[in-house]
This record gives sequence, C-alpha cells and structure tokens, in this order.
Amino acid sequence: MGVTMNYSAQLPDLAATENFALAVANQLQAGDVIILTGELGAGKTTFTQGLARGLGITAAITSPTFVLARHHTHPADGLNLVHVDAYRMSGEDELASLDLETALEDSVVVVEWGRGTAEALTDAYLDIELQRPGAVTDELVTDFSDDDVEESRTVLVTGYGPRWEGSSLA
Amino acid sequence: MKHPTVLGIETSCDETGIGIVAGTNLLAHQVASSMDEHVAFGGVIPEIAARAHVTEFLPVLEAALEEANITLDDIDAIAVTAGPGLAGALMVGVSGAKALALATGKPLYGINHLIAHIGVGYLDASGADLTRVNQLGALLVSGGHSEMLKINSLTSDVELLGGTIDDAAGEAYDKVARLIGAGYPGGPVIDKMASQGDGRAFKFPRGLSAPKNMGTRDAPGKDRYNWSFSGLKTAVSRAVEQFKIRDMEIPANDIAASFQEAVADVITKKAVLAATEHDIDHILLGGGVAANSRLRNLLTERTQAAGIGLTIPPINLCTDNGAMVAALGAQLVADGIVPSDLGFSADPTQQVSIISV
Repeated sequence: MGVTMNYSAQLPDLAATENFALAVANQLQAGDVIILTGELGAGKTTFTQGLARGLGITAAITSPTFVLARHHTHPADGLNLVHVDAYRMSGEDELASLDLETALEDSVVVVEWGRGTAEALTDAYLDIELQRPGAVTDELVTDFSDDDVEESRTVLVTGYGPRWEGSSLA
Repeated sequence: MKHPTVLGIETSCDETGIGIVAGTNLLAHQVASSMDEHVAFGGVIPEIAARAHVTEFLPVLEAALEEANITLDDIDAIAVTAGPGLAGALMVGVSGAKALALATGKPLYGINHLIAHIGVGYLDASGADLTRVNQLGALLVSGGHSEMLKINSLTSDVELLGGTIDDAAGEAYDKVARLIGAGYPGGPVIDKMASQGDGRAFKFPRGLSAPKNMGTRDAPGKDRYNWSFSGLKTAVSRAVEQFKIRDMEIPANDIAASFQEAVADVITKKAVLAATEHDIDHILLGGGVAANSRLRNLLTERTQAAGIGLTIPPINLCTDNGAMVAALGAQLVADGIVPSDLGFSADPTQQVSIISV
C-alpha cells in the first residue's frame, strides 16, 4: 500500500493542536483508521480529545491504556470513536481480538502505538505522528507548575491507500 | 439470610483471586498473580493475564476451600467480577463462576469490581467500624481506576462524585516510571525512589485545580472533583528531557519524589473537598495505590484535619482479590438482591452505577 498523501505542520500551542484535530475530524468517515504515534507527553491525549469534539462526541475521552479499547458513542447519528492503546499488544492477533472490523462499520478507530499492528485493519489509513521539540532553555527548569504553558509541536501526517489520495488537511 | 457464606471470584486484571466470607467474617483469601510475567513488557499483557487465570483458577479455588475448611456444598452463593476490567481476563472468571453455579445449583452474582473494593471495608478484617458512619465515601486509586464515590447504599446506590478525565493515577505512575527508566510496576519503584529524593525539587502541575476548573461550592466547575494526570506526565517528560539533551544524569529520585508529591497532593485535596461538600464523615481507601506511602500519610493528615474518619484496609485487601468480591456478594445476599441471570456477560467498561448485573 503506497503513500498517497503527506502533510506536516507546526502546532505552536494547544489551540493549534485542537484545531488540527478538528480539521482531521472534518475529513473522517466511517471505517477510517488513524495510527497515532508520539512519545509520552507529546499530545496524543489532547489530539484525541480534540478529534472527539470535532466528531461531536460529548463523552469524556479517558485513557484506553488499562482496558485497551474504549468505545465512545456519538450522542446522535454521527460517527462513533473507538480509541485503542496498542502499546501492550503483542501483535495483530491481539488487535483482532478487539473485533475492530465490526466497529469500523460506523466508527473511526484511533490506535495509539499502532504502528506495526494496526495497518492490518484496513487498506487505507492515516499515520499521524506528534513530536515535541527538545527543551532549549538556557538554564535547567524546575518549575513546571503552570499547566497552561504553551509548547510547540510538529505533526507529520502520512496517508496510505487511495482513500487519502488528493485530500488535504491544510 | 443474615450471614451468608459466599465464594468470590476476581479475574479482572492480573490477579486470580478467590475468597470466601461468612457475613462479614473472612474465611479464605487466596490470590495468585501473573505480575512477574508482565514486568518485561512494562504493563499487563491481557493475553498473558487471561491464560494465567485459566491455569490458576482451579488451584486457587481448591486452596480457598481448604483454607476455609469447607466444601462447595457449604456455600450459599457465588459472586464474580463482571467488570470493569480486561475483557479476556474477566471472561475467564465469569465462565468459571457460571460453570460452578450450574454444577452446584448455587445462585450467582455478577458484580462490579469497583464496588467490591468498597465492599471489602465491611469485612471485620478491614479494621473499619462502619456501623457508626453516617455517610460513607470511598476513594479508589489503582492502575486502572481513580474515583471518588459516595455510598448511599452499598448494594443499591453508589454515586460517582469525581474521577480521572484521562489517565488513572497508577497508570501515570507506570508511564512516569518508564520516562525515568525506573521499571515496572511504577507505584512501588517510584515510592521507593521518592523516599530518597526531594519532593520540592521540582514543581509539577496539579491538574484541574485552577479556579476555572474548580468553580465554587455553590457554582462548582464540572471538574471540581475530577483529576487529570496527562499534563503532569507531559511536565515530567519535559523535566527529564532537559537533562538528556545536556547529556546530564537525570535526577530521578527528585523527579520521582516531586511527581509523587503532585499526585498525592491533588488526589487527597480533591477527595477531602468532595467529602466535606457531600457530608461524608468517613472515607474508605481502596485500590493498589493505597500501598503508596505518601498518599496514605497525606490522606491521613488531611482527613484528620477535616474531622473525617479514614479506613485503610490491610494492603492485601486493597489490591485486587476475591475476598472483596465475596464481601460484596454477602452484602447483596443479606439485602435480598436478586441473583444475576446466567446469561450475563463480562462488561469491560461497566459503570459504577451497575453494582450487580
């Protein structure tokens, strides 16, 4: 399956990450799979929460880490969201045991840490990677108490398969 | 039935627990853990946990019956965790429990794992005297859960006051342990490192504590009693990387202590606030993170200051076990709650409002 779309952007603050998530949400249709990659603290949670809001899902997007997959149902007739953490999955078999194919009929599926396993779900998917730049302060920082500090992210999006051909997130 | 003998089965995560109680009297408490098998992966691997439950189910059952010195005939009812938890792991316990119920003809209760953590407080062995409590509250903190609950009736009415909007507290411990290269499970290793570090060395955020999140007692913000550990995780990751970039040694003990201080502070502050504002005069602590030294000390300090009673059961009753399932089962039977229909299935995301299915 070939690369059909490439997109990258700087997301200077949280609002930009949210807006990016909203832009992605606007493009989605049932059956779409997003493979989401990024180190701890890179903004995967913020992105997924923004994506859910963009889809019109009102439920809280709590971490799927413990239960592996959380199903968030759209309150009306919009797309549902399945949020998966594949970090502890040993392979495609285990992902298959979550029965995501059935969910794909009326949902979009976001798989964190899904590279190497989640590609098997579909013949077209979006690979989204969030990167935090390293800290470049002159001095070592010890006060991180401000939650709202704005930090820039880089997002790299790669679309695979005909589904993403000619599409644009800009 | 006032003092029913109940067999409880717990398989929601990596512990195969089977306990037996008679009313509030603990007769047997057997647990086999597959934790060691998950260490290399830095988290519970569902497939491995489920297989371990299959292997351990019968030996643990036999050990429990032997410890209680009874046979299955002597049991009045069986209780099993129906959810929340890992689907594959839950299924082993539920299937095993159904098989036992069918074979023995005993009634079966599919119960809520979180409420069972509260049910354990009703056992004499928990050290709590709940008879003098007017309004009970429960703080559950574990690898999969962080909740503050108000118990109007253990068997029919438990209210969720607050919970995490992203990671569970124990999950944040595991992830931060990974960031500072401390190993797994994160709770015990960070607690140990923290004891050799300075909790004031770094200032980490207390999520959802800003005035806009908190609101006031009369006009509470929607996250007044909720926690968020996602920003804290990011802050730790920023703290760590500045040392990595400079090729300096990471002050792991100080980061562990400062992280632990942030978690314990925000959990206990919000739990005590929720209790005070809901006339809760006694808090029961449950879940694996109850083993954390800083959380225990700070919660003890703050509940005392607020004039709120506190029970921290022995730690082997706080972590996942079958005795707590049996304890809740005994209360359900005593209150005349109807047993579950055998057609029920495991529910990985069972809500706290569903005490028994």
